Amino acid sequence: MPASETVDFEREFAELVRELRAVPSEAPQELRERVRALGEPQPARVMRLPRVTRRVALVLASGCLVAVAGAAVAYGLVASSGRPAQHPEAAATFAKLPHGGRVHLNLTRSSTTAEHGVAAFGAATTQQPFALSNSVAVPAPNPNRYQNYQASLRVRVKDFDALGKRTSDAMQITHQLGGYVASVQQSTTSGAPGEADLVLRVPVAHVQSALIRLSALGTVLEQHVSIQDLNAVVSAQRQRILQLKIEIARITATLQQSLPADVRLRLQFQLDEAKRSLSNVTGANASTLRAAAMSRIALSLTTEKTAVAKHHRSFLGRSTHAAFTFLAGAGAIALAALIVLSPLLVIAVLFVLGLRAYRRREERRLLAAAP
Amino acid sequence: MRAVNAVSTSLPSLASTHPAFASVAEAELDSVHRYLLFLTGNRAVAEDLTGETFEKAFRVWRRFDPRRGTARAWLCRIARGVALDYFRAEERRRRREARYARELPDTEEPAYGEGALASALDALSPAEREVVALRVLLELDGPTTARVLGISQTACSTRLSRALKRLEEMMSDARV
Repeated sequence: MPASETVDFEREFAELVRELRAVPSEAPQELRERVRALGEPQPARVMRLPRVTRRVALVLASGCLVAVAGAAVAYGLVASSGRPAQHPEAAATFAKLPHGGRVHLNLTRSSTTAEHGVAAFGAATTQQPFALSNSVAVPAPNPNRYQNYQASLRVRVKDFDALGKRTSDAMQITHQLGGYVASVQQSTTSGAPGEADLVLRVPVAHVQSALIRLSALGTVLEQHVSIQDLNAVVSAQRQRILQLKIEIARITATLQQSLPADVRLRLQFQLDEAKRSLSNVTGANASTLRAAAMSRIALSLTTEKTAVAKHHRSFLGRSTHAAFTFLAGAGAIALAALIVLSPLLVIAVLFVLGLRAYRRREERRLLAAAP
Repeated sequence: MRAVNAVSTSLPSLASTHPAFASVAEAELDSVHRYLLFLTGNRAVAEDLTGETFEKAFRVWRRFDPRRGTARAWLCRIARGVALDYFRAEERRRRREARYARELPDTEEPAYGEGALASALDALSPAEREVVALRVLLELDGPTTARVLGISQTACSTRLSRALKRLEEMMSDARV
């Protein structure tokens, strides 16, 4: 009410106001004594909760937000401080290859590949921590033994241009190491990831160097190495060759003697059979030796983007990702709670407003008429 | 001429520290009684309700916060609640005992004394009398009165103006 209005009623109704103030309305002595007898209230023993004012509510809300953010940061740090996910590639190297053994090693960076790097040789298995990088550690062939060395490598390159260039590089590396390119297939279709599949034959003596250099062409996604010891096979083949040669020599010597016609004919058949077998075994032996001399490397170059990058985020990146994941979860919970509670809140607010309106109307009614 | 808004309606010490209940009760007893007398229009009822108001204030004295308003306004809010409870109870009682109550002889002591002013005040509604009591007798300012009554300042001003005009008209009629 403006001050002028106040002054106005004092001036306008001056006489009336004076009369009103003169109405005897002092409290009687009895009532005064009764009130005095109340004395002084005892100080409250219960601890009072702070009055929830707007400021306190604001501080509480801010505190809650800070707490949630702090929890998210803590979660992010804790979640990312552990060792990165154990990957199969974490794992294996070779000591030496026992006789007659076969080794199969899978190295992969893809999280979707469930293969584990294992070096298995009967009971003799050796596993050591093994970090996959572009300079991939690969098992070395044993120069004193015949081994069938096969490897497959999947490497991601940047784009189509890089794909063509890296394909040429891979062929050049193969030639430089004394090998040859068995086959090349390259496909680059717009809108699809580019692929180049090469089958390379590299002398076993240089396979390790070849794999390391090929790995450097891009980001290694997968690497599989298979080593099969061929010494036993070669020995068996040589043994067989020797046996056949001896047999041939024996039959030839026998045929030079005078023999009945039917015996001569039978020996002639045996000689032909032995020569045929010798020819086959000799061919197989040559094939085995060729396989032992030249390794086979299946190289796949691709421009495909994979989830690999996710596993190689920095600590800060992992922490941030975990924190945002936490916040997203908290937000989803809060939203769900709000959705569930909002009808109840609306009902409660309507109830309070209705109650207040009812009480006000009742007060007006009670005070409208003199009792 | 007094500027009502400039009049302090609280004890000087209330603003900074929690005052003693006894001193506040001593200082505000007449004001509360005056307010309830005008509100109820019944001297005996006003006395009862005043006592009840201070008993209630005694119980909840720790809730009083001088920073949020004067002790007088706080006591008036309590007194108003007590009076409304009384009116409700009285209304229920009258409904129950309607016939009997009508036959009761009027033996009540005149609340405002004798004369034209008393008759005019009797003719006002409790709502009008309470705004007159708060603004004119207790000298609460407009915003405080509006808060005590739970209405807007405009409504409070209108109600006061209307009540005073009615009073003056009735008194003028009585003098003629």
